[in-house]
Amino acid sequence: MRVTAQKKKETRRRIVECARKLFGDKGFEQTTTRDIAETAGIAAGTMFNYFPTKEALAMTLICEALDEAGTEFDSRLRGDETVDEALFAHVAVGLRHLAPHRNYVGEVLETALSPFAREAVCEQAQQLRVGHLETVGELIALRGPATSRVPGTMTMHLYWTLYLGVLSFWAADESPNREDTLVVLDQSMRLFAGSLSSESKNGEEDHDVVDVTRDR
Amino acid sequence: MSSTSPEIAELIDALPAEAKEPEASSSPLEDLLQRLSHKPVPTGRFNRLWVLGTLQAKIAAAYLAWWLRGGYASADKRERTLNETHLKAALKLLGGMSYLRGAIMKVGQIIATHPDVVPEQFVEVLGHLHFEAPPMHYSLLREFVRAELGADPEEVFDEFETTAFAAASLGQVHRARLKGSGQRVAVKIQYPNISRTIRADFANMMAFLTPMRLSSDWGNMKDQFKDVRHMLDLETDYEHEAENLRIARSAFTEDEGIVVPRVFPEVSTRRVLTMEYVDGLHLDKFLATEPPQELRNRFGEKIILAVFRLYYAKGLVYADPQPGNYLFMPDGRLGAIDFGCCHRQTAEDITCCRDVERTWFDSPDLLREAIVRGSDLTPKQAADETRMKLIMDWCAWIREPVDCEGPFDFSDMDYFRRGVVLYGELLRRRYTRSRPANTWFTKSAYGMRAMLVRLKARVDMAAIFRRESTYSFTRGE
Repeated sequence: MRVTAQKKKETRRRIVECARKLFGDKGFEQTTTRDIAETAGIAAGTMFNYFPTKEALAMTLICEALDEAGTEFDSRLRGDETVDEALFAHVAVGLRHLAPHRNYVGEVLETALSPFAREAVCEQAQQLRVGHLETVGELIALRGPATSRVPGTMTMHLYWTLYLGVLSFWAADESPNREDTLVVLDQSMRLFAGSLSSESKNGEEDHDVVDVTRDR
Repeated sequence: MSSTSPEIAELIDALPAEAKEPEASSSPLEDLLQRLSHKPVPTGRFNRLWVLGTLQAKIAAAYLAWWLRGGYASADKRERTLNETHLKAALKLLGGMSYLRGAIMKVGQIIATHPDVVPEQFVEVLGHLHFEAPPMHYSLLREFVRAELGADPEEVFDEFETTAFAAASLGQVHRARLKGSGQRVAVKIQYPNISRTIRADFANMMAFLTPMRLSSDWGNMKDQFKDVRHMLDLETDYEHEAENLRIARSAFTEDEGIVVPRVFPEVSTRRVLTMEYVDGLHLDKFLATEPPQELRNRFGEKIILAVFRLYYAKGLVYADPQPGNYLFMPDGRLGAIDFGCCHRQTAEDITCCRDVERTWFDSPDLLREAIVRGSDLTPKQAADETRMKLIMDWCAWIREPVDCEGPFDFSDMDYFRRGVVLYGELLRRRYTRSRPANTWFTKSAYGMRAMLVRLKARVDMAAIFRRESTYSFTRGE
């Protein structure tokens, strides 16, 4: 029997929603792919046709949250933000949308987005990284120092490292309303914006066009 | 605090190396301030992390350095050099503490209430500290407000100005309008994480300064820092301030012309304080309008009335009557806008203070005994003639305007100078610390007089005192 595209889409959605609920209730570690398949009413083997790993499924949830965040971020930009403020807002809105996934996001991102990773763990992680860095590149192009509008690979690597540092801090932040994360994020983005200024001043860094798809 | 004014060269020299403006060291003070105030805020990297990058913070740091140096002025050369090294290291560390700017500015504000200790120009600059702190950008503020109030500022309020119109030492203030009523409000928003960071920064600062403890003044320095820290602790709790505002607001009738802003608790939290917007000039700008003596006197009366009324009727010691906390309104009313630094007297505080005051006026011969009782002095302390003489002199100084028949002239610099010396000695010898309430009371009495001196007011303090001191204690009613 041929499975229609519509049917496939519905099954995929069902899997994603079941995973969202189980990760939220039991945590990422405690949830097995079998649990998800059972809850979604499909065979475990069928599920692998949709999501090859549990990480890929989690990354799908995270990507969805960050897509919504991206839309909110675009609608909130005033246009007069400095580059560090715009970068701050971009990450801050994302963190807010990631909040329902906070109890497992750390474990997933650690493996999926690690700056040490030579290869993308899954397609979703790769898309997330590319999409995020493209937005960062656009923000720098519009708001960064005139001579640093096309940031080099090292600059973007520095950004990515700071971003993951902020994510890991946020995942473990116990301060009221996670206000410490706001401070860490603010200082990280200022540090990064400062590196753009020094890059343009010293001309020390390579100015290759950043290849955000290099891990693909 | 020494009573000798530092030379400008000494101040510049006391700055940490990064904050120095060497080309200005030989220029006259005014030129220096003029030049620095026109300098744009540096835009290089770490600009806002290097918090001493602002003119005000630099000057406050210079004073702090000068003040700390006073503590080991009499040490031998080797010890002085050692202390210099530690001081430099400490100041460098200070520069890296992004949120200690609150503490540094607080030190600046305290110094600003010593018009005779520092040159007038510096007093003016330091007086501005309250309003010119480097701002949080709007995106940070929006996330913070959203977490506190559950929605973005532009959703919570009908209108919200994205640029702060004033910077509090521990946050910043934005103009807004309430939804529905359209009421103009001032929304004070605290820097995220500030209270815990300040506590940690202070611990680091003390660790850095510890090698200097050999100096005889170490205990005093430590106490002064402790006081500043305690004040900052209180000031980071906006719910505490909101309650103080509520108590204070109930103390005045409309025709008394003292405005304490109303708090809107539905849009306030421990770290966001929304209150009625009060329009007026701060002391410097008011003085720049060259107000007539009569107007100075009227405002002077209101400053005294406010402090006395809160103290006698509401049990509140307005411990920080400094320029940043008052607004001179165009219609002649006085706005008292900051109640972060208020001490609520306990029943015991009140019993002790009333005992001393009653004795002071009814049986002055027994004042010494009353002070010993009221200050909880040990027999050894009570037998210390230097201590007792200084405290009695201080009491006499406090009382002088109250004993004056008719208006007392606060432009009399001789009166104020004597007070500065006494206050400096009291702090230096830590004689104010016998009971915690005494520290607050001393600050309040001194701060109020410092304000009146800057205002050059002539006021019948005795009449206000007689009227106000008859109030019974009805705190919070």
